[in-house]
Amino acid sequence: MKNIPLLIGAFLFSTLFYQYSIGLNLSLFCLLTIVILIIYNKNLFKKKSNIIFSVVFVITATSVFIYKSNLSIIAYLVAFLTLIGNVSEQNSSLYVNWLNGLYTSIAAFFHRKFNSIEKGKNVQPKQKTDYLHLIKIIGIPLITVIIFISLYKKGNPMFNELITKIDFSFINIQWLLVSFLGYYLLSNISKPIQIDSATIYDLNTGNSLKVKGDLVVDRLRKENQLGFTLILLLNILIVFFLITDITYLISTNDFRASAISNQVHNGINTLIASIIIAIIIILYFFRGNLNFYKDNKNLRIVTYAWITLNLMLIINIVIKDCQYIYYFGFTYKRIGVLIYLLLTIIGLLTTSIKVKQIKNFWYLFRVNTLTAFTILIISSTINWDNYITYYNLNYAQSMDFNYLLNLSNNNTFILKNYADENNLTEGKKSLIEKKHKTYLIELKSKKWQEIQYDNLKLNKD
Amino acid sequence: MNMPSVILKSTVLATCIFWIIIISENFQSGMIPFIFLSIIPISICCTITILFTVMPFFWFKSDGLRNETVFKKYFPFYTIVSFCLCLYGVFELTFAISFFVSAFFTTMQSWVWIVKDN
Repeated sequence: MKNIPLLIGAFLFSTLFYQYSIGLNLSLFCLLTIVILIIYNKNLFKKKSNIIFSVVFVITATSVFIYKSNLSIIAYLVAFLTLIGNVSEQNSSLYVNWLNGLYTSIAAFFHRKFNSIEKGKNVQPKQKTDYLHLIKIIGIPLITVIIFISLYKKGNPMFNELITKIDFSFINIQWLLVSFLGYYLLSNISKPIQIDSATIYDLNTGNSLKVKGDLVVDRLRKENQLGFTLILLLNILIVFFLITDITYLISTNDFRASAISNQVHNGINTLIASIIIAIIIILYFFRGNLNFYKDNKNLRIVTYAWITLNLMLIINIVIKDCQYIYYFGFTYKRIGVLIYLLLTIIGLLTTSIKVKQIKNFWYLFRVNTLTAFTILIISSTINWDNYITYYNLNYAQSMDFNYLLNLSNNNTFILKNYADENNLTEGKKSLIEKKHKTYLIELKSKKWQEIQYDNLKLNKD
Repeated sequence: MNMPSVILKSTVLATCIFWIIIISENFQSGMIPFIFLSIIPISICCTITILFTVMPFFWFKSDGLRNETVFKKYFPFYTIVSFCLCLYGVFELTFAISFFVSAFFTTMQSWVWIVKDN
């Protein structure tokens, strides 16, 4: 009785995924996962965090149905692991949820088997199954019956005809294997487990730093001096860099794609190195008792100044990237740069909070993984191909037509509309027509498990 | 630790998984001799994998550490690494899916057998 939902789930899993590509099936699997989790963990679903992560999971599943982009599929998998991990332990950090979610999905069966061995040591041993006898009572009659059937077949033509008519081709072993895989996965996630060492360590680690041992004033004074001198020099260097960069930005008239591209990419490389080193240096100096040293005011000031200057460096790159987008349109790389810059801004702000409120490294890690997760989920709900195409066709000063053609099918309808409403060259028109026709054929050939939102649009038309 | 027993059981399990996947795609009666022949390389693979990747956790454990503790401490991370490697193998060498699937499940089960036999 306990396994009936899992057996039904396994049957549905095979029905949804056996020999089908991704589409509606992934969205329905999301609902199946949530139903299984609720059936086996009713009480845990009264907690707010589990409900929130379930909603997030449904959002990503809807995104997969609507856009079917790689980003939405990645977000779906991450949301799945997060939900499973959160059901296993509600109070752990996001990255521990991912670890627990992954571990549960792939190995909970073996973990439970180990637990049953451990428990079994304390209870009276069960009577051992006699496998040899089991093989005997199944194997020997089976082989004997097969031998006799082959004998009787030769002796009686009517019996032979009857036996030949028996057709086992309806049994599809691959379908059964996929069902078994579904059962294994659903059984694993039905009762999520934890990686004890990581979960316990995470639960016992707070966000705030505490004084370690005695405050050795002389040592702290020397470390404070070193930190102050180093960060002050880095401040001077970054100011000099910013002045020269802004002067170049104002004075340059070179708006060739290659020139702006070089500027943005060099700027990003500088920024990546600068931010990583900045955060490492700040984490090093503010790792322990220096946080509690009463004369660290100057060190804090130069640290905040350095963070502010790094933010200015980011704004500088944002301007360059926007300029690049204005002249040559959107691309995934240019959007990626903007998202990276947003993450960097948040990273720097959380670093300044860490310094101000005397937080530890784990605080930074927790807040920043949560931020990255949120941005991933939000990004997965946006039809990027559509927006890129719309902006580049209507607002960009110049654009790469082949780039738009090579994007996923999410921009097919917008390209088709544009081709119908504008005077394009025959070559471009035929390329768009080809893409449109191929996509329509692809949509029409889909089974119900594979359909996506565009199929519904097609039916409406 | 009853190593021969663990290796024997692992070989049987790996052979079963390996051939069930292959047979599910296409079964020909000519395959039968190869099923028996494959036991030799499969047993070599199992022995090497268990001896070099699983057993060191038990051989080099700190004094006083119980096998159950070793399992709880290292098995989750071993599983995750093993899963990632096998998944990578499946994507890179699609034709070898039966090898990677059997490798993954057999190593997982061999951990349980090792702790149980002890």
